[in-house]
Amino acid sequence: MDGFIRSRSRPAAAMMSTKAFTLVPAVEREQLMGDRERVSLECVECCGRNLYLGTSDCFVYHFLLEEKTLPTGTATFTATRQLHRHLGFKKAVNELRAASALSRLLVLCDGCISLVHMLSLEPVPSGARIKGAAAFALNENPVSGDPFCVEVCIISVKRRTIQVFLVYEDRVQIVREVSTPEQPLAVAVDGHFLCLALSTQYIILNYSTGASQDLFPYCSEEKRPIVKRIGRQEFLLAGPGGLGMFATVAGISQRAPVHWSENVIGAAVCFPYVIALDDEFITVHSMLDQQQKQTLPFKEGHILQDFEGRVIVATNKGVYILVPRPLEEQVQGLLASHRVEEALVLAKGARRNIPKEKFQVMYRRVLQQAGFIQFAQLQFLEAKELFRSGQLDVRELISLYPFLLPTSSSFTRSHPPLHEYADLNQLTQGDQEKVTRCKRFLMSYLNEVRSTEMANGYKEDVDTALLKLYAEADHDSLLDLLVTENFCLLTDSAAWLEKHKKYFALGLLYHYNKQDAAAVQLWVNIVNGDVQDATRSDLYEYVVDFLTYSLDPDLVWTYADWVLQKSQEVGVQVFTKRPLDDQQGSFNPDDIITCLKKYPRALVKYLEHLVMDRRLQREEYHTHLAMLYLDEVLQQKPGANATGAAVTETRAKLRHLLQKSDSYRVHFLLDRIRGAGLPMESAILHGKLEQHEDALRILVHELADFPAAEDYCLWRSEGRDPPYRQRLFHLLLALYLGPGPSSTELTVAAVDLLNRHAAEFDAAQVLQLLPGSWSVQLLCPFLTGAVRDSIHARRTTQVAVGLAKSENLIYKYDKMKLKGSSVRLSDKKLCQLCQTPFSEPAFVRFPNGGLVHTHCAASRHTNPRSPSPGART
Amino acid sequence: MRKPDGKIVLLGDMNVGKTSLLQRYMERRFPDTVSTVGGAFYLKQWRSYNISIWDTAGREQFHGLGSMYCRGAAAVILTYDVNHAQSLLELEDRFLGLTDTASADCLFAIVGNKVDLSEEGPGDGGQDGGHGPGPAGVGAAPRLPKQVQPEDAVALYKKILKYKMLDEKDVPAAEQMCFETSAKTGHNVDLLFETLFDMVVPVILRQRAQGPPQTVDIAPCGPPARTRSGCCA
Repeated sequence: MDGFIRSRSRPAAAMMSTKAFTLVPAVEREQLMGDRERVSLECVECCGRNLYLGTSDCFVYHFLLEEKTLPTGTATFTATRQLHRHLGFKKAVNELRAASALSRLLVLCDGCISLVHMLSLEPVPSGARIKGAAAFALNENPVSGDPFCVEVCIISVKRRTIQVFLVYEDRVQIVREVSTPEQPLAVAVDGHFLCLALSTQYIILNYSTGASQDLFPYCSEEKRPIVKRIGRQEFLLAGPGGLGMFATVAGISQRAPVHWSENVIGAAVCFPYVIALDDEFITVHSMLDQQQKQTLPFKEGHILQDFEGRVIVATNKGVYILVPRPLEEQVQGLLASHRVEEALVLAKGARRNIPKEKFQVMYRRVLQQAGFIQFAQLQFLEAKELFRSGQLDVRELISLYPFLLPTSSSFTRSHPPLHEYADLNQLTQGDQEKVTRCKRFLMSYLNEVRSTEMANGYKEDVDTALLKLYAEADHDSLLDLLVTENFCLLTDSAAWLEKHKKYFALGLLYHYNKQDAAAVQLWVNIVNGDVQDATRSDLYEYVVDFLTYSLDPDLVWTYADWVLQKSQEVGVQVFTKRPLDDQQGSFNPDDIITCLKKYPRALVKYLEHLVMDRRLQREEYHTHLAMLYLDEVLQQKPGANATGAAVTETRAKLRHLLQKSDSYRVHFLLDRIRGAGLPMESAILHGKLEQHEDALRILVHELADFPAAEDYCLWRSEGRDPPYRQRLFHLLLALYLGPGPSSTELTVAAVDLLNRHAAEFDAAQVLQLLPGSWSVQLLCPFLTGAVRDSIHARRTTQVAVGLAKSENLIYKYDKMKLKGSSVRLSDKKLCQLCQTPFSEPAFVRFPNGGLVHTHCAASRHTNPRSPSPGART
Repeated sequence: MRKPDGKIVLLGDMNVGKTSLLQRYMERRFPDTVSTVGGAFYLKQWRSYNISIWDTAGREQFHGLGSMYCRGAAAVILTYDVNHAQSLLELEDRFLGLTDTASADCLFAIVGNKVDLSEEGPGDGGQDGGHGPGPAGVGAAPRLPKQVQPEDAVALYKKILKYKMLDEKDVPAAEQMCFETSAKTGHNVDLLFETLFDMVVPVILRQRAQGPPQTVDIAPCGPPARTRSGCCA
């Protein structure tokens, strides 16, 4: 049988499960040489559908290859034999190369390259040939731009000589001959660069300049060299230790070597794979990661070559084709065995072989699949990166988690599926710890993704899923999600939140969906203890705050009683803290006051808000507030001694209001206060009515609060003229000194008053009032002040008199000056305005001496445009 | 495939830890490695540059490949094992010659690896630690006295400069370019590579700049004449 072994035994490790190629027979032995046992296959050429074989008995065979794809997806080849031809020697055919542009086949046999027709296999009539060739190579990156010639480079039979030829349809032309330092054994060519295997080393030789570059040494006695052009300016060489070395024309290596066996015979390239042949195996390495990917048992192989992407391997007797498995299939195979890295490298490597759009679709899918593989292994970081770069529809991921996608979601998983898992439970096999980790991952992933364009089009699904995850995990971000812009679907989310008893959050959800009434009702229920949710301990305050800023008046009115019942002081904030522009419309103060009737403390707060904060001057509010204060003061009065502080506070407020406000009904209050034992308040009210004597009498006689009396004078005279103030002080002084049982306190108070406010009194009047018994010493400060004042007043007046006199003198002087000279009118004097003589004795003289008619002077004042005589000289 | 902007090559005798150093730096781990076959390389992005780092095979069998790997290298890391004096000698005997193909302004770093195996702390001098206190008990490996001292590496560095006919003034100082590392513990590994990357970037820039004009014209081009604006007053 032939060398193709169909045994299943695989020497390589399990790692190499990629199936990059399938080996398919193309030409069987029977087709080729029948029963001629000793004849063997020497060389192969394939050009399009044309397959040429050269044999050891000097025959060239031409076959047409036909590729068929079986329904199973595997390719098969049938080769139909065309012409064959004996070349007329007794030697083997060494090499065959087709030049399809010329329709010529170059045949190396017996040291001579002859040109035969590609179809007839007839030699060209001109008999053109290249003699003395040991081996040759075609330049696949030709230097000359001529499409009707090929560049052929031969190893000459002359020692250490390389020759370069141009081969035309029926002639050949030598263009260059270069000698090499050692005998060349193999050659490949790219542009001007020859890559040569010499007897001890590989070199790059530029045949145009003659410059050579050593690559690396090897031993030609131990093994046959391999020189293979793999692409622009890059070669693949068999190195020491079974290495496949890559080298560029610059003499450097840009890829790491691949590791073949020591006895490798041939090498070929089919991107991204490097294929090598030895006695027993065909091995496949990836150029992308240098790893061995596949091993195919193949005995007695001796030719391995690639022709425009088609890889052909041959034994002495038969020809086989290595058919690349579709890339998708290879990638899927790798993914199926969870070899993510390799799959990605392979898929990415296909970028230049596939149209861009197709590549992107394919590559994205591979990334997504790889992501799910990593995900299933709980490699979340890697998975995330893959999902992101693969632009995964996040719903694919969400759909793995039961119940997360909204019931309304139109999502269906992509087909074919991106992974093999039904859901998370299957993936984790029920391991709850893993489930938790997966959920945590999804939380962070969705949170990152929701604001990016990856969520576009299904933000509802993403946000709803995130809400469900947060709620389930009791995650703080649940609230953040709900109070910021989100797309959580109401029905789905509400049911879920209810299930997980997240009532506060549910309220937020209602609010976000403009169902404030439902939200507040829910929160009220929580505060009332009807449902349990401890999310916020200050939920009552939250509700108050919420209502305060709520734009829905009905809602506020609905819950006003509730909040006020809970706490009058806090509850009233829904009215008092409301933004001002909001208080106008539906929140009429009168309505609110009516509402607050039942809640006195709240009412006080509200009126204070109106009076103090908003400074409304409506009499009702002020009076009402004062009355409320008063009621409280009166209520607390009996126990005044016990709760002194509280009384003082309210009274202080009352006094403050009475003093500062001008809007309340003084008489009304005065009536209420009468007999209530609130002298200070009465005094203030009297003061408001300008009944200063009454007020002061209370202060002095009832309260004996002299400082208060003084303050009263200052308070009531604030902003009035000095005589008014003086009147008040005199009034007070009179009270102190007044008839009746004079007491020492009053006397002292009078003295203090005089001494302290000396400036507020008319000293002359005071002196008359004072009893003669008082010593000067006692009133020294007052008297000193009074005398000083008096002297000061006198002196100031004297100065004023002096100044007035001198001013008068100046005017007198001016008058004298003006009267001092006479004016003579004559015919020669002309009016300065109309330039005509004066005809009557009356005239006007300007201070500068100019003379004008009286009527001219009058008209000048009415006609501002006429020149001002004062301006003239 | 991204084209590397510069190349760094690790050279040194087999079993000194070249692959381990590189894996420690690139993958932050210290796995068991097998003897490198042929060579391998990593691409490292350093700032905006792609630097390829080649790990070579120390085995004699692959020695011939060294020249090719070194061709055009911007830096060469000569690695030895501080516990094997011979490995330092090999650098001079076998590996220095390979660097002839490197770039003319190639940098050299000399790295003594496996300091974790020796008794003295890194940088300690003194030869007589051999009979000191017993093994200090890191892992099962008994600690051995260090066989190569930092001074030996410095001496080699100076020899290299002579061999390359470089003036000490024109190149980084020996102290800067000689390292003692441990791929196992990670000691000095980042320092080694990152120091080198920082030094290699200017080399890359210089190589790029050395396009057609090989010399820079430093002739004074005259003070810039201040042209008065011709606006009419």
